[in-house]
Amino acid sequence: MKNNRFGIVLIASALLVITLVVGLVLRRQQAVYAAQIRLQGLEVTRSLTALPFALLAPKAGEPSILHSLLVYDENPDFGYAAVSAPDGTTLAEVRSPGAVVPTKALPTGTASLFGERMIESPRGERKIREFYGPVMDGGNLKAFVRIGYFGPSQLFAVQDLPFFALLALAMFLLVPLIYFTGKREMAPLGAIVRQLQSMAGGTAAHVPVAAYDVRCLADALHRYLEIATARIRELEQGSARTLASGRLLEYGSNKMNAVLQCLPDGLLILDPSGEVTFANSKIEPLLGVAIDEVLSNPLDAWCEDADLKMLLSRYRSDGPETSRQLKIEFTPTKVPDKRLWATALPLVGGSGRMAFGALIVLRDATREHLGQQAGNDFVAHVSHELKSPLNVIAMYSEMLQGARAGDEQLRVEAANVIQDEVERMNSLVGNLLNVSKLEMGSMSPECHRVKLDELLRDAFSHALPLAESKSVRLDIQVPREMAAVSIDKDLFRIALNNLLNNAIKYSESGGSVSLIADEDEHDIVITVRDGGIGISQEDQARVFEKFYRVSEGDENRRGGHGLGLYLASQIVGLHHGRLTLQSEPGRGSAFSIHLKRMPALMQGANVL
Amino acid sequence: MKPRKVLIVDDEPHVIRVLRLTLEREGYRVETANDGNEALEKMAGYAPDVLISDIQMDGMDGRTLCRTARRRYPLRSFLILVMTSMTAMDERDWVRELSDIEFLEKPLSPRQLVARLARYCFAPPGDLEIDHAG
Repeated sequence: MKNNRFGIVLIASALLVITLVVGLVLRRQQAVYAAQIRLQGLEVTRSLTALPFALLAPKAGEPSILHSLLVYDENPDFGYAAVSAPDGTTLAEVRSPGAVVPTKALPTGTASLFGERMIESPRGERKIREFYGPVMDGGNLKAFVRIGYFGPSQLFAVQDLPFFALLALAMFLLVPLIYFTGKREMAPLGAIVRQLQSMAGGTAAHVPVAAYDVRCLADALHRYLEIATARIRELEQGSARTLASGRLLEYGSNKMNAVLQCLPDGLLILDPSGEVTFANSKIEPLLGVAIDEVLSNPLDAWCEDADLKMLLSRYRSDGPETSRQLKIEFTPTKVPDKRLWATALPLVGGSGRMAFGALIVLRDATREHLGQQAGNDFVAHVSHELKSPLNVIAMYSEMLQGARAGDEQLRVEAANVIQDEVERMNSLVGNLLNVSKLEMGSMSPECHRVKLDELLRDAFSHALPLAESKSVRLDIQVPREMAAVSIDKDLFRIALNNLLNNAIKYSESGGSVSLIADEDEHDIVITVRDGGIGISQEDQARVFEKFYRVSEGDENRRGGHGLGLYLASQIVGLHHGRLTLQSEPGRGSAFSIHLKRMPALMQGANVL
Repeated sequence: MKPRKVLIVDDEPHVIRVLRLTLEREGYRVETANDGNEALEKMAGYAPDVLISDIQMDGMDGRTLCRTARRRYPLRSFLILVMTSMTAMDERDWVRELSDIEFLEKPLSPRQLVARLARYCFAPPGDLEIDHAG
């Protein structure tokens, strides 16, 4: 339909153009013709006026020169040629067939006697265009020469018809040219429209379009723009939502990353091909390998620990372990003082098989390892400590069995030694239990207000027998009235006994040990001073360590079990006090317990 | 018959006391030392037939003492008895390089020690085969 309309419009406008062009050509033709006539008229008039009057208007019966001049004029529009008196009387004339010389008076008073005028044909036919000029004779106006032409009879002559027809045809031929060119040029529009429709999608797609032109394109474009605008709006909203959820995701991811980085354990995440895709910052101190190196290099390049490498390589998707978790313990090559546990866990998907690679958790087990080692050492140490007195007891008891009846001295000695060794074992076991309780945290001091001077005297009398057996003088310097303190009596007694026993043990025979208490307004200081062998500078720093025993040289100072001072310092610590040591090798040692005095307000409370 | 000479090395005075009493009663000549260093000093002027030593001692320990004594007196023939409470086999590996050395397990039985010494000291010369420890 649209195509047809386009054709019709094209044909109509072509016809209009043809008409216009033909009209213009005709007008032009006429204008040229009129100019030709005028030129001819004027020339003939002038040349005739130059002739003598007698020649122009001869006597009757004589032929006028007009005849000879104009009778052969071939111009089909030639009307007439006449010589007229100024009043209009015709003196001589030549006429084309059918023409009449109008008797119209000529203008005389004008400046120039030449001119041209239009005369209505007397018979209502064609107009006559008349050129005239004066005929002078001795300075007088004798007559006028008049040449008349008929106006153009018809618009175009029959002989011009082929020309115009050809012209019209030529122009009309442009119509199909334009039509087809237009069609051809618009064909891509169809493609564009279809494309737009398909891009717009939806309902517009299946509206059949017979022909594609610019309007159709505009429509399609319009629809497309509407749809596109709606789509863009949707997309913008979607994008805003995506942005928001992206931010949320990013936040979540950052948070997760921070969590992973904060974990106290080292983490490695392997992809299914077995390469490391994530490593947290703890990896560096644990393995001694920079994170960048771990992330950018293949496993073989950075991992120097054969055990770890073996573990990691088991967790490729084509490796043997895809569903089990494995744990190894190893010492990293680059950090030889550490002991690590590496646990590999496959990251399983819904199927229960490894889907996302594996997670490797590296935990610093140095403490546990050392603890275990210390435990082993502890057991070895304790069993040795227990076996030594057992050995002595066994030997003495066997000797008693074989002793002769009268050997009273040996019997007493054996009984004493056996009792001493039992005591030694007992104290060791007691201390062991206390240390164990202390370390398990189950030893919580039950503090009561205690009269310190009584407690000190009690400890003093408890240590007296040991001192006497070693011929060590034990004395006590405690003020009669001391401020009450809040302590756990039983625990504190253990600490005091350990200090006193130690002092006695490390004193020479004939030496002295003093138990001294002193108080000022803030502190109470209990000191156990001996004049014994003293402790060297390097031993002083470690003497409160568990199982630490100072190196001894003397035969009678068999080592303690390395728990007494440790236990004493732990107990004092439980009472928020300090245990200090001043010692000089060869001059003796002084262990001091520093306790805070109770606040004055509480002084009045009941004392147990 | 000349009394056999024994050197007892231990940092436990009670052990030394019991062993000395027991062995002297059996007619041995007993010298004692508190650690390896003292034992080596004693050995300079006293060639024991039997060296009885503890392992864990402050000062020079028993292992060093045994190695040093064997190295220093290659021509002397004496039995070494090592008193140990460690029963694990790897604790005994160190004696492989040494000759004439045996372990005595704690707790020590003086009676068994006497019997062992008797076998060593009063056995006919052909029976002087010592079954090596480990």
